[in-house]
Amino acid sequence: MEIRKLTNKKILIEIGRPIITIAIALLIGAAIIALMGEDPVLAYSMLFKGAFKGLGNIIATLQNTTPLLFTGLAVSFAFRSNVTNIGVEGQMLFGALAAGIVGYYVHLPWFLHIPLAIIAAGLAGALWAYIPAIMKAKLNVNEMVVCLMLNPIALLITGYLSSYPLKAPGPTNKTFDIMKTARLPQFSNSSQFNAGFFIAIALLLMFWYINNHTKKGYEWKLIGQNPVFARYGGINVERNVVQIFLLSGMVAGFAGAEQVLGVYGAFYNGFSPGYGFDGIAVAMLAKFNPLAVSLSALLLGALNSGSIVMQMMTSVTRDIVKVLQAVIVLLLAADFTLDMFLKKRRDDAAGRKKAKLEIEKP
Amino acid sequence: MTEALAMTGIVKRFGALTANDHVDFSAHKGEVHALVGENGAGKTTLMNILYGVLTPNAGTIDIDGKRVEITSPSVAIKLGIGMVHQHFKLVPSLSVAENIVLGHEPGKHFLLDLALARKQVKEIATKKFGISIDPDAIVADLPVGLQQQVEIIKMLYREAQILILDEPTAVLTPQETEELFKTIRKLANGGKTIIFITHKLNEVMQVSDRVTVMRQGQLVTTIETAQTSAVQLAEKMVGRSVLFRVEKKPSVPGKVLMEVRSLKVDSSRGIEAVCGLSMRVRANEIVGLAGVQGNGQDELVEAIAGLRQSREGDILLEGEAIHNASPRKIRDMGTAYIPSDRTLVGLSVNDSIWENMILGHHAYEKFGKGGTLDKKKANSFTQSMIEEYDIRGASPQAPAKSLSGGNQQKVVLARELSRGGKLIIADQPSRGVDIGAIEFIHRQLIAMRDLGCGVFLISADLDEIFSLADRILVIFKGRIMGELSSSEATIEEVGRMMAGIARDGDKKIDE
Repeated sequence: MEIRKLTNKKILIEIGRPIITIAIALLIGAAIIALMGEDPVLAYSMLFKGAFKGLGNIIATLQNTTPLLFTGLAVSFAFRSNVTNIGVEGQMLFGALAAGIVGYYVHLPWFLHIPLAIIAAGLAGALWAYIPAIMKAKLNVNEMVVCLMLNPIALLITGYLSSYPLKAPGPTNKTFDIMKTARLPQFSNSSQFNAGFFIAIALLLMFWYINNHTKKGYEWKLIGQNPVFARYGGINVERNVVQIFLLSGMVAGFAGAEQVLGVYGAFYNGFSPGYGFDGIAVAMLAKFNPLAVSLSALLLGALNSGSIVMQMMTSVTRDIVKVLQAVIVLLLAADFTLDMFLKKRRDDAAGRKKAKLEIEKP
Repeated sequence: MTEALAMTGIVKRFGALTANDHVDFSAHKGEVHALVGENGAGKTTLMNILYGVLTPNAGTIDIDGKRVEITSPSVAIKLGIGMVHQHFKLVPSLSVAENIVLGHEPGKHFLLDLALARKQVKEIATKKFGISIDPDAIVADLPVGLQQQVEIIKMLYREAQILILDEPTAVLTPQETEELFKTIRKLANGGKTIIFITHKLNEVMQVSDRVTVMRQGQLVTTIETAQTSAVQLAEKMVGRSVLFRVEKKPSVPGKVLMEVRSLKVDSSRGIEAVCGLSMRVRANEIVGLAGVQGNGQDELVEAIAGLRQSREGDILLEGEAIHNASPRKIRDMGTAYIPSDRTLVGLSVNDSIWENMILGHHAYEKFGKGGTLDKKKANSFTQSMIEEYDIRGASPQAPAKSLSGGNQQKVVLARELSRGGKLIIADQPSRGVDIGAIEFIHRQLIAMRDLGCGVFLISADLDEIFSLADRILVIFKGRIMGELSSSEATIEEVGRMMAGIARDGDKKIDE
């Protein structure tokens, strides 16, 4: 574990803050549900039951969590170094397409086929991430803008490829079904929960180790904290930013591989409901800590899977979950300012109290 | 007699820290009152309370015998209190007159009567206080000293009776300082109350009528300047006597460690800041670069450290040209660099002390084999540095920002000096640190010199240059104005060169 010794109070604050954030989001969601004339308590209980009641629902939740583990990690890793890779969605799409291509066109025994397809996906994701990376490093172009514009481009390119040149016969815009040898093993009949989940957990542990116990992890953190200081100390900031982008894009590509090799068995045009963007919420909630990504991805995964049941059992649309997510992101983004506001209030209050005492004393 | 200003029982706390602990401060009408103390002694806090920037936790303020509550700077201004900050708050592209009336413009119905403004400015400046200044000059074109006078006239225009000057001489040449002091005297004779924050004791002796010493948030004493001495004040400031000039042996310079040949470097704005400068630093010597800030020192140092590209000329380290090499390569060639901006360049203040301590060392085997980072070793190294460099209040896990300025600087010093570099670039090494830390830093630099290092000291503080340097170079507008050996140089001579006046019988540079 980390050497940093946290006092009990600090741990409470660290854990308490996201919990309060989620609680506020749920309250706002409840108000919206009530405004729509529905019973928030019923809706939330259905949401919870849908996510966690019974093995089937739990497995479905884990399946919904898996892509968010990958994308949450990809975003966390980049954001920790102040590399604002919000192009994870596009990188994931290219990864997925590459996995679909290697999964169908290459013929190999499974123990080679699966790794090859995953590596291809990682490379494709990294390659797509190389564009904003090189533009930031060489031309000093803001990566956020580039990433934002590359996302729809990725959607349209992969959409075109899967709808025309690489399209499998049939009514759906998708590539050919991948070979059985490229299929990630599934563990349940009722859901698409697959071995990708464990790959994701392994990656989280690996990146936690890199962040905390390697020299690169140290350099990457400093680059995020103070790039001027990093450069002064002899770290090549530009080169490292490119490396960070490539690794983040690779993890995003793996997210696509899990979806194709583990869930769908082919690249479907527009398969992603925005896992790359949800990854930003996951990362923020986890404060860019890879281990905490597991918890925040689970939360969002549970909301996603529970919302299906909620929609069936009540007349609350599952879009309410998107509202909750958005509120969480907003609250987290505002956290910094709120924090300062609260501190100032506290100081002032304490000051006034003491001032009163001082005046009364003599 | 009623005091122009009386602050009684002022208490200000920031969390656990008490910045002002029951301070009773007062100033007469028409006096120059110096307020001295180390950094962190609470001088600026006290003045910020007076100027309404901070609200005290306890205490009262009376102006001319009337109890007042100063809740904001605009209240302070209405009460006749003016403050000139270290960093001027002027609009560079506007004229002197426009700057002075800004916020209190004369004229009717949204129209600015600039002619009236000019007339008023002239009247106040020249007739009342004898400060000569052209109201139509553009502020950006004025030298720093005059910009400061503009700030002062601005306060007078607002009819300030009490003027607070926060370290006004930090950015001035000795000649400009003289001018400022003349102005200050005139204002005091005209009935204004001047509060003069500084930590330069010779200035206190020169200009003030009374002096108040603060230490660790408390007011130590208020005394007539005529009845004290710089040495006595220094003792009161630190609570013990300080050696002002650290003892050092004469230097025996060795081989050339660094040579700069006709170097040209542009500033960030693309203006040539270093204009064909040449100089050398040898082993076993401290070369001091004196100059008013903004004459190309920053660009020169950044070019040597590899943080800024040079356009022409060469920098040689032990005879090897570095040709815009990376900071990493220059470090590996044996350069240690103490940057002038500690909080932005020299440290990552939000990160822990150990993370700050190992930068530049972290690639070494001793902090983990291969790519791994051995945090235990990093921590124990940091702990040993904390002890060796007497970094107070530090633990390896604490964030760097939890340290005081002086102790932060010791972290930088420990990191840079423990790497075994031969050339040490010390850019304003004691800026914003307390006297105890200054003494420590000076001793370290001299010790490094005696071990055979070459030290290149850049400082705006002539006292520092004179007490440390074996050889003094003066920089003006990107060129070396002259070179003096510190034993024969006088402050006046260096001051003239800093102002761009060449020396009589010009000596050849760097023979």
